[in-house]
This record gives sequence, structure tokens and C-alpha cells, in this order.
Amino acid sequence: MENIDAARLQMAFTLIFHIVFACIGMVMPFFMIVSHKKWLNTANPVYLQLTKAWQKGVAIFFVTGAVSGTALSFELGLLWPEFMEHAGPIIGMPFSLEGAAFFVEAIALGFYLYGWNKIPPKFHWFTGVIVGVAGVASGILVVSANGWMNAPSGFDYVDGQFLNIDPIKALLNPAWFTQALHMVLAAFTATGFAVAGIHAFQILRNKQKELHKKAFKIAITFGAIAAILQPISGDISAKDVAQRQPVKLAAMEAHYETSKGVPLYIGGIVDQEKKEVNYKIEIPKALSFLAFGDFNAEVKGLNDFPEDEIPNVAIVHYAFQVMVGLGGLLMFAGIFFFFSNWKKKHWFDKKLFWKVFAFLAPAGFIALEAGWIVTEVGRQPWIIHKIMRTTDAVTPMPGIVYSFYLYVVLYTILTITVAWLLRRQIKSLNSTLITTL
Amino acid sequence: MISVVLFFLFFSLLLYVLLGGADFGAGILELFSSEDNQKITKKTIYRVMGPVWEANHIWIIILIVILWIAFPLYYKVMVTSLHIPITLMLLGITLRGVAFVFRHYDAYVDESQHVYNWLFHVSSLITPVFLGMIFGGMVSGKIILITKDIPLDFVEAYINPWFNVFSFLIGLFFASLCTFLSAVLLIGEADEEGYPVYVRKAKIATIVVVILGLITIIYGYVTDSTFVKSIIHNNISIGLILVSAAFLYPLWYSVKKGIRIASRVFAGIQVLLIITVALYPHHPNFLITKNGTINLLDKIAPNAVIDVLGASLLVGGLLIVPGLFHLLKSFKMIKILERK
Repeated sequence: MENIDAARLQMAFTLIFHIVFACIGMVMPFFMIVSHKKWLNTANPVYLQLTKAWQKGVAIFFVTGAVSGTALSFELGLLWPEFMEHAGPIIGMPFSLEGAAFFVEAIALGFYLYGWNKIPPKFHWFTGVIVGVAGVASGILVVSANGWMNAPSGFDYVDGQFLNIDPIKALLNPAWFTQALHMVLAAFTATGFAVAGIHAFQILRNKQKELHKKAFKIAITFGAIAAILQPISGDISAKDVAQRQPVKLAAMEAHYETSKGVPLYIGGIVDQEKKEVNYKIEIPKALSFLAFGDFNAEVKGLNDFPEDEIPNVAIVHYAFQVMVGLGGLLMFAGIFFFFSNWKKKHWFDKKLFWKVFAFLAPAGFIALEAGWIVTEVGRQPWIIHKIMRTTDAVTPMPGIVYSFYLYVVLYTILTITVAWLLRRQIKSLNSTLITTL
Repeated sequence: MISVVLFFLFFSLLLYVLLGGADFGAGILELFSSEDNQKITKKTIYRVMGPVWEANHIWIIILIVILWIAFPLYYKVMVTSLHIPITLMLLGITLRGVAFVFRHYDAYVDESQHVYNWLFHVSSLITPVFLGMIFGGMVSGKIILITKDIPLDFVEAYINPWFNVFSFLIGLFFASLCTFLSAVLLIGEADEEGYPVYVRKAKIATIVVVILGLITIIYGYVTDSTFVKSIIHNNISIGLILVSAAFLYPLWYSVKKGIRIASRVFAGIQVLLIITVALYPHHPNFLITKNGTINLLDKIAPNAVIDVLGASLLVGGLLIVPGLFHLLKSFKMIKILERK
């Protein structure tokens, strides 16, 4: 394996892993504090038990997110030293602010986890709020650094030199808002549906129904709202990408020929040799409308971009289809939940209802990972859009493939262990009787 | 503003060595304890460090983020030449972090605890050894400044700088320093049953630190290490070593008598002196290379970046330090201050 491929695989693999853990660590505190608030308001011990169960989940995911994040902060330099030498100072601001937010989160988490019966109840609850807010803040900040790679700004690029650096302008790069909005909603959707799905599965198994129903409702409410809002954010993102990175948009849609009134492809097999898409469903003029708000707008096709500036079209196109397909599905599931909660409460007694949500548990995360594949593979061959190629950024040290294998083994074991630990948590939760205090 | 940035760079290094170090040391102490004492230590460290241990390990992130923002060239040389030990250190940090949490939060206490404990102990030992080896690599004088298009021998460029006896000695020295810090910290926090255990451990650790420090310096001198020579030929560092030696007596006395605040203060002074001795004589060329020299202040980031970074560090510091202090206070982790 070439060094560059190994480095890219390692980066992709560790990010895929980190994103799952970081999202859960970022979103679950919100479920936890809602349950905690309900416990404070109602004194119903089920909520206390649920809060404590979720707190353990938060602790486990926070630490796996934190250590994989520590590893990533080093990996940026270990794998892409040339990139970091130039980009580090420019995008330092989101990273240093993220570091500060993460610090605040760690301190607040310390208060929260160890604060039971030691600090005033309201303050204790409030530290949980800080955990959630600081977590989301660090997520938003770190996405700014990625946004900058897609929309480099805050410097002048003259003869291979980065001059007149303005770190604040780099922080506020044009891709930041759309990407951060999309990512935060995605994190809430994915975690909401995953957690709700796990609890739905427990309800199917007839375990601790009262607790799991309460848990399901809290998690699905967050997930469903985010899933329903997500298409709006997706539309903003698509229009933004169409302007800034037309080649990425063309790859997402596997759109080869520049033309007006371009149809939207659904599905289809990409033939990269012949530059065409077979077996697709076409929605007339829809791509022109979605990208530019005009049914007859011209959309530049891949054939009009230089050969060496085009990403792997098949991967980007398939990942995009998966993201949109699953995202749409979750939006309908969200609407379905609110409808049943509003008009058809008796559906909650049907097994099928819980089966649907148990089945959807992984869908959000699959969509989220697919979305990151769209944006990251779609950015190639650039590590900094139109400024630095990924091949020019990689470390000169040979043999990265071995470090890639090391991470594969390590993170696979870690994932299995975390899954096993969660199973044990649920088992223990199901076997304890709820005690009235 | 560059002085603010340099201050925070040094400040995060010092706090990482003190707090992260004491944290690593707790795992090493557990490793070298009898089964009964292991249980006492485990109980004490979750009580004392549980709420702060995450925060303790963020200092290294702050440290490298400052490095890459303000001193990008330096950072590039470090992560390229010392790629392998940094990766191994990350492996240690990862395993240690998850083992620490898994053994605490696992729903059932059963045989799996053995695995977590073993993982926690081993990674607590190897991580500071690799951290020390990374520093050893930085000052080994074997780092090759890599210029493009010149093919390099893999071993010479990526192995030799850190995989050598001197770096390994520094690694061992650092691990023993962590153990020493941890034992001294725990003296102040232990309850009745733990107290004599940590006094004894702190005494042993003090002796080990002094012996390993001497061996490292002597070995470096004999093998003509530029790093050690720069220390020995510098009046200030020699002076500081003498101060450090003079402080050994009050340190030893307060450890032996188990005086909580004094032993902690003297331990902190030792660490501050050790870091200063290790960094001062060859500043600002903290990387000692085989070909050419590289100065920390070479090619630093433009002023606009340094100003923004300095400002964010000041604001961040104002936000974080009181929070951290309040956290420590709330859980009576610095109860010794209140005990009087």
C-alpha cells in the first residue's frame, strides 16, 4: 500500500470511530439533564435511575471520545506534517477555542459525575447543562477547522506562501455555518435514534417497560426534531456547495455533462470509465432547482473540470445517496412518532411500533458517516481546497500502513468492548428493581 | 504577546508533568503494591482524582495545540522525526484512559476487572516512559532535519533519535518522577490506613528518582551527550541542580514525617527545578539535532496569529483556572489547605 493511501485510510478510520463516540458524548448529556430535571420536578425514582444509567453511558463515551480525540490531535501532525506546518497557525483559533470548551466540559463533567449528594441539587443539575453546551460548542468549533479546508480563507496565497494571515477570518470561513448546522443536527438525529432504538428494543423484550418508555420518549423527541429540521439544513448546504465547490456537487450527483435544467439522479451505478450513470431514477430539472433555486439553471458537469481535480465519483455519489436516503427515512420516522404521540397513542402498545424504531437505531449513524464521506472524499484531491494537494501534505516517513493496522486493531477491540459494556449496563439496569427513596 | 504564549506553553508543560504525572504515577504505584494496598490505592485515586483526571490530561492537548499554532516548524520536525514514540505514547494514553473508566463504570464487578487493572497498570507505566523517551529523542542530538528529495535511511531518521539507552533512561526517570509525585500527593489525601503506605512509597520513590537522575546524567556525560554537557557547562543549571540537591533534605524530612503541605510544596519545587534544568541551558534550541540547529523562535507564526492565540489563552485561562480550582475545592481534593 502506498504511504498516502495508508495515511488517508488511517485518518478516515480514526475519524469514523471518533465521530461516533464524540457525537454520543456530545448529545447524550442533553438526554441526561432532561431526565434529571424530570426527577427533580416529579421525584419519580424511575427518572433518577434513568439519569444515573445515562450518566454512565456519558462517562464511557466521553472518555472514548476524549482519548480518540487526543490521538487525532496528534495524528493531524503525524500524518500531515506539511499541512499542519502551514495550516496550523491559520486554523489554530478553532482548535484553541475547542480546547478551552473541552476543558470546561471536562471540569463540568467532574462536578456532575461526582457531585451527587455533595453539591446543591440545582447547581449539580446545572453542571450537567454546561457539559452539554460545552460539548456542542467544541463540536461546532472543530467543524470550523474542517470548513476551512473546504473554504480556505483568512490569508493571501502568493507564490506558495501564506501571507497576511487573519485567524478570525479563517475561523469564520464561509463553509463553517452550513457544515456546523448540518453536523449538530446530524449528531442529535443519529444519537437520538440510536438511543431510542436501544430502548425500543428493550421494550420489545418486555424489560423494565416504564423506564425504557420514558427513556425512549426523551431520546426520540430530540432525534425526531433534529431529523425533521435536517432537510432544511441539507438544502442550505447543497446550495452552498454548488457555489463554492461545484466539482463536489457534480460528484455527489455523478453529473458529467454540463447542461441546463439538470435532472436529479436517485440511485444508479456509476461507470467511471465511460463517465455515465446506469439504472438510475431521474427527477426532471430537480438538481438545477435544488442547487440554484431555478429549474433551468446550468449545472457544471464533471467533464468540464480538469481530470486531476476530480474526486472518486462513485464513492461520493453512493455515500450521498445513502445519506439522503437514510436522512429522509428518519425524517418520516420522526413525523410518524409525533403523529402517533398526538393522535394514535394506542400504537405504542403494538410490537410493530417498537420494531420500527429498534430497526432504525443504526440508521442515523450510517447517514452521518456517509455524510462525512461525501464531504471528505468529495474534497479530494485537495487537503486545502485549491491550495494544497493531499499528496503534498503526507509525512515523509514510510510504513504508515503499520500504524494504520495498529489503529484498526486497537479501535476494533475498543468498539467491541464498549458495545459489550453497554450490554452489561442494560442488563444490570433491567435486573435492578426500581427503589422508592 | 509571544511572551504570553511562551508562558502558557511552559505553564501547560509544568501542569501536565505535575497533574498528569501524578495521575500516571498512581497507576505505577498500584502496579508496585501488594494486593491489599492496591485496593486502598484504587479507592483513594478515584476519590481524589476521579473528578479531575480528565482535566489533568487536557494539558497535553493545550501544549501541542500551542506548539502547532505558534511554532509550526518546530512541531513539524517533532511529529515527523518522533512519529513512532508519539504513536506508542498515544496507544498508552488511549488504553489507560479507557481502562480507568471501564473499571470504574462497568456494571458488574467480576473477572473482567483483572483485565482492566492489568491494562491500567501497564499503560500507566509505559505511557510516561514513552513521554520521557520523546523528550529524550528531542535532546538526543540524533534528530535529522529532513529536507525534501534527499532519501534517508529509515533507522537513522526515525528510530535512532529515540530508540537508545539515553532516551530510555530519561523515560525511566520520568516514570519514577511520576510515581514520586503521586505518592507525595496521596500522603495528603489518604485516610488512616493509606497514610503509612504512601509515606513509605514516597520515600522509596524519592530514592529511585535521585538514583535514576544521577545515572542518566553520568551516562550522558560518559557518552558525550550534547544535552548533558550543555547542562554541566552552564553555571545557572549547575546552580539549580545544587539548589535542588539542597532542597532534598527538607523534602526528605517532610516526606518522612508525612507533613502534607510541605512535602507537596517541596515536590513541586523539585519538578519545577528539574524542568528548568532540562530546558534552560540549551534554550531556545530545545530540539538538539544532528545536522544544523533549529530554534523554537525560528519561523514562528505571524504576529496576527500570536496575538489572537495569546488573547484566547488569557481568556481561556480566566475561564478554566477558577473552574478547576472550584472543582478541586468542592471535592475537598485540597482539603489539606482547609485543615490547617
